[in-house]
This record gives sequence, structure tokens and C-alpha cells, in this order.
Amino acid sequence: MPGKGLAHTSQFHIFNHMVEYQTSRLDAVYGALSDGHRRKMLQRLSRRTLTIGELADPLPISLAAASKHIQILERAGLVRREKSGREYHITLVEKPLHDAAEWATRTAEFWERRLDQLEEYLNPDTKR
Amino acid sequence: MTTATIQAVRVQRTLNATPERVFDAWLDPEALGRFMRPGSEKRSADAVTDPRVGGRFIITMLGEGNVYPHTGEYLEIDRPHKLVFTWYSKATAMGKSTVTVELKPAAGGKTDLTLTHVGLPENEMANHNGGWTAIMDLLDGVLRS
Repeated sequence: MPGKGLAHTSQFHIFNHMVEYQTSRLDAVYGALSDGHRRKMLQRLSRRTLTIGELADPLPISLAAASKHIQILERAGLVRREKSGREYHITLVEKPLHDAAEWATRTAEFWERRLDQLEEYLNPDTKR
Repeated sequence: MTTATIQAVRVQRTLNATPERVFDAWLDPEALGRFMRPGSEKRSADAVTDPRVGGRFIITMLGEGNVYPHTGEYLEIDRPHKLVFTWYSKATAMGKSTVTVELKPAAGGKTDLTLTHVGLPENEMANHNGGWTAIMDLLDGVLRS
């Protein structure tokens, strides 16, 4: 879980951990998230599984265009496609989102600690 | 359709010092050595800076028997308002990224600092138009649901 236990983990353990994240995978995730239509799709999928038609419905785009967007989400590992009868059902896969959020959490954590120390440097008399 | 790859975080802090003092701390090797180190590490980081646009810096952080070099290049130096530099750290797997430090004077001689760290693929210009906020909102929503 992002953020959990960070306070008890040393900074450099966090660094080592970060190497495990594949930058290319994160790039695919953020690339997939950089489009408004795809973000809307994901938002709706975070509530329940939907068909391609249901996903396209509220968006001002064709079924074919929606299908392309879904392919991009699939390649980023953000959704899973399952055939049921004549229709495809699209389900959200949360793990890549958690990983992406974790990059952000760890980077923010890194700078928060640096700013703590900048504060101490600027005001050495008011050390906590 | 533009699909700039974006990884970004923003942290904010109000510091009890003037914008000038805060700004100078980001370029002064001695100050950098003091605040660019892990909290558990008593020794200062080793910093070398060439504070001009196009100049470079190296900050070597020490910790747990290892050294962690961070390097970058100054892209914008506008004392005491804005400092922009590239940030490269092999250990963090952040790849090539850009850090922007913005300072605004606050009441009582304090300074509001906003640091934005944006990771971008090579050769792509930083044009994020607040896209990262949308992403973070989405992540928030998904992770909380």
C-alpha cells in the first residue's frame, strides 16, 4: 500500500526499492492516463465492470475510437478484457495504478524529508 | 492527440526564512550538503555546484555504507523566485526529470516554497498543463474506492 510503513523505512531502503519499478511500465501507465477520455473510462471502471459499448456511451467518440482507447489501457495493464457471450467486459486492474501512485508517494516523501532538513538548516535553534 | 508521459509530484512548505536565504541554500554547496542527506545520516552530503544556467551540480549522498550520486543541470536561475534544474539519480529509477523550486514571500518574513518534480521521457519538452493534478486526482479516487 502506498505510504504505509514509510515512516519506519530508511530513505535508502526506499531508493533500492524504487529500482524494482520498471520505468517503462510506469511510462505506459502515465501515458495511458494522460488522455481525458481514458481517465473517464477508468473512473467509471473503478465502480464496476463495463462493456465496450457502455464505456463508449457517455463519450463523444465512436465505438471504434473507444476500442482503441481500451487497447491503450490494456497495453498499460490497467484493464482486462473478458469475452462473455457476444460482448467484451472490461475490468479495472488496480495494481499499475498503485505502482504509479507509489512512485509519486516515494518521490514526495524524498522531498518532504529534504525540506525538513532545509528547515533545520535555516532555523538551527528550533530543532524538533 | 498529445500524450506527454507525465510523472509528477508537488510538495509545499512554508519556511521561516526570507526567499533570498531559502534560494541561496539551493545553490550553496555547504547548505546542500546539510539538507540533501538522509535524516539518519550525520555526515553532510558532498555537493559541488556551478550555479549558472547551463552549469551542473553533483550531490553525493552518503548512507549505510553506500554513496548515491545525484546530478543535474541548471535550466533557470531567477533569484529569489524560481530555480529549475534537471535531476538525474540512477538509484531512484526516476530517469531524466526536472525539478522546479518556486518561492513566494509570505507574511512575517517567511517563504512559501513549492517544489514540483516532473519526470519526462528524453527529448520531450515539459508541457504538463496541470495534467498531473488530474492524474493524482484519479489515482486518489481509484485508490480510495
